[in-house]
Amino acid sequence: MSESGPTATEADDASLIARSRHEPEVFAEVFRRYAPQIKRYVTRRLGPDAAEDVVADTFLLAFRQRDRYDLSQPNARPWLYGIATNRIGRHRRGEVRLLRALARTGADPVTESFTDRSDERVSATAVRRRLADALAKLPAGHRDALLLVAWAGFGYAEAAQALDVPIGTVRSRLSRARTKLREELGGADPTSIGEEALHG
Amino acid sequence: MDEMAQLNLLRAEVPEPDLPGLRAEEERLMAAIAEPTGSGPARRTSRRRVFVRVGVAGGLAAAAVAAAVAVSLDSGPRPALPAPPPSAVAPVAVIRTLDHAAEAALRRPEPHPRPGQFLVVRSRSLEEVDSDSARYLSDTRRTVWLPVAGDATGGVIEEQVLAPKAYPGWPIPPEARTEQGAHGPDRLADFDGRAEYLRNDYAYLSRLPTDTAGMRRHLYVGAKRGAEGDRDAWQRVGGMLTEAYLPAAQRAALFRAAATIPGAEAVASAQDAAGRAGVAVAMTDPEAGTRQEYIFDRHTYLYLGARTVIVDPAKARGTKGGVTESTAQLSVRVSDTAPRIKKN
Repeated sequence: MSESGPTATEADDASLIARSRHEPEVFAEVFRRYAPQIKRYVTRRLGPDAAEDVVADTFLLAFRQRDRYDLSQPNARPWLYGIATNRIGRHRRGEVRLLRALARTGADPVTESFTDRSDERVSATAVRRRLADALAKLPAGHRDALLLVAWAGFGYAEAAQALDVPIGTVRSRLSRARTKLREELGGADPTSIGEEALHG
Repeated sequence: MDEMAQLNLLRAEVPEPDLPGLRAEEERLMAAIAEPTGSGPARRTSRRRVFVRVGVAGGLAAAAVAAAVAVSLDSGPRPALPAPPPSAVAPVAVIRTLDHAAEAALRRPEPHPRPGQFLVVRSRSLEEVDSDSARYLSDTRRTVWLPVAGDATGGVIEEQVLAPKAYPGWPIPPEARTEQGAHGPDRLADFDGRAEYLRNDYAYLSRLPTDTAGMRRHLYVGAKRGAEGDRDAWQRVGGMLTEAYLPAAQRAALFRAAATIPGAEAVASAQDAAGRAGVAVAMTDPEAGTRQEYIFDRHTYLYLGARTVIVDPAKARGTKGGVTESTAQLSVRVSDTAPRIKKN
């Protein structure tokens, strides 16, 4: 049973939000639909401690701003990730610090509480360190666009909606961010590095 | 593997939490939702005598047997099985809660009591006691042994009467303390004057329909017309859940049928008589000035208990938000025997 997102028989997000303007408790359903995936996304960016605050703030803000939700948008996912991205912005330095720690040491403070296996993907460490380094160096807006696409599975249009920028902006940010990543991973053929790191 | 695929693997081991893992976040949202400053019309509530007592001769009559049964027992013949009113589209939160509750009922291990055995139900109950000049809440821990075959007159009760609690807005009178202590084992009831359709013994409940429409018809048998009938039906839901064991199939049907009763509303947070918090579905009685709530565990959606809350202080003669009645269903087990009744 998936709790993330409405199924065909359920009300769409816009009608839930419209209803929650008169029946506030209906908003709890919006939480149940999206909080799990948003929590995972924010945790991947900021680690579990900050994620709890950010997710709680995200839904509180969304609840308080529900009167301003554009009811012509049936799907509330971009709106919620947009609010979450904003809140993540307040932890920018923390995010970069965590990425740099991973780049420097190969140990990831974000995932350590989720991995109890001592053998966790040691061989992939080199790639992870380079990726973390590249992510840390990206401009914040580029990192936001890149990770919405890579980690939250957003298309360009959805990402543009979430970030409240034109779709062309998302496209160019993404393209530049990907170039940076490729360079960091080893120039023209990142695959060789990846394979080497995984098997070597 | 290209850079996007590599990026996908980064921190991929971070799991998506389930809802219990989001409790802290959910509680903060629920607190905001519950704030009275929330937009929209104020939540409605009501007061109405929900509990009818099964007759008990002598002794503890007042606080003894609360069978949580609807009141509409007006005498007089009624046409058999009139069609119930059309279903209403309930708020999403009501449907969701009751749907989860139905699924939870079906997942639960089910006792299969045999005739000759007893269902042993432990519960906690806060009930209103009033006299001419005083009102208070009697707080009791109850254990009842209900015969699997037969009605409450074959049952046994043991009670622990706890310190009385205040009826919202009223002082606790001195006489309220005189009942405190252990009572029983006593006969549960000397007579049971309920209409057939209000029975809540296992033999009867296990023969009720297991489909939503059939259960809905049962809820409306003998009910009045209009909103009052909807409230009757709503109360009857509680009658089947309080100090009774409703088999899983009927229980699931009951929750689904309850979701079709017009006027059902969602309550973000409620506490049962044992202090357990959960979410509730409710119906307001504007004439009584109260709201009757059925409370479910926020995560497992198992039924916890019921309570009645004052929404209109003038009508209910008490303070707004005060709880005038509540129950908590704590456990059910099967036993071959019941305690021997004390001779007076």
